[in-house]
Amino acid sequence: MEIKKKDNIVKDFAGLMLVTVFVILFFTVLNSIFGQGDELVAKMKIEEERIAKQQKLSKLISSLPSGVLVTFDGTKNYKLTDELYEAVCEATKLIPQRAIMGANFLNHEAYQIYTNNGNLIEDTFVRWENNICIAGYTVVGPLNDGTEKKITVSGEALSFLSTGIDTRVYFIKNF
Amino acid sequence: MKKYLILFFVFLLIPTLVEARSTGCKEGNCENGYGKWVYTDKTTYEGEWVNTQKHGTGLETWPNGYIYKGEFKNSEWNGKGTLTFPDGSMYEGEWVNGFMNGQGIFTWADGKIKSGTWKNGILIE
Repeated sequence: MEIKKKDNIVKDFAGLMLVTVFVILFFTVLNSIFGQGDELVAKMKIEEERIAKQQKLSKLISSLPSGVLVTFDGTKNYKLTDELYEAVCEATKLIPQRAIMGANFLNHEAYQIYTNNGNLIEDTFVRWENNICIAGYTVVGPLNDGTEKKITVSGEALSFLSTGIDTRVYFIKNF
Repeated sequence: MKKYLILFFVFLLIPTLVEARSTGCKEGNCENGYGKWVYTDKTTYEGEWVNTQKHGTGLETWPNGYIYKGEFKNSEWNGKGTLTFPDGSMYEGEWVNGFMNGQGIFTWADGKIKSGTWKNGILIE
């Protein structure tokens, strides 16, 4: 009687183990078919972090006063703290025409291309690099002598325009 | 419905009219003489005009902080003039077709100075 009872316990345990192994195998097979579970979760996490960061930056941008924001002394404009400078840099995507025209003063070939191609900008970038905000743009087109050239002009973004909705690079110091 | 449509267009028109009134020749004579012109991006020029061109001496101020004070020819910076950059750096010297060309002195915001001959914005000697 005692032996039969022990047999049943072993059988139940073996059955439970079998079911467990089956469930694990079942999900392993499903995972291998539909796959990328971990990868998808990692991607979703990155995206969530990106959205959270974007929201934080948007909140910060909307809290800034409208007008010119600078990183240097000697003006009546709003001066950014180091922390705000980095945040504004990371939130900024746009470089308006006057900032480009200003940087072109120190790059005659870029000016020529910009003028000859009808003020077309191929690409712009703003990035936080080695504790400074680097902004720049690329122009592609003909120089005055007709030769085609691609030039990238970049420098430290030292002032920004806050519109209340977004921020724009206002001064690229490329000298 | 028609009334609302008209109101909608009137509201669209108001900012355009306000913008139009705040730009253009605001003071004086901007054809031949002395006048102040305000551009749509808030760049201003106050100085001498000849045949609707900036010609003579004047002051041009950009909304992002660049200020040029000096001589103009055919609406371009030509002759002697001073350009102040938004951070306080400054070039004082000769200009040709909107570029530093000729003798000039460049003073950085931190006080560093370079003087010499400039060609199309670059110090050559």
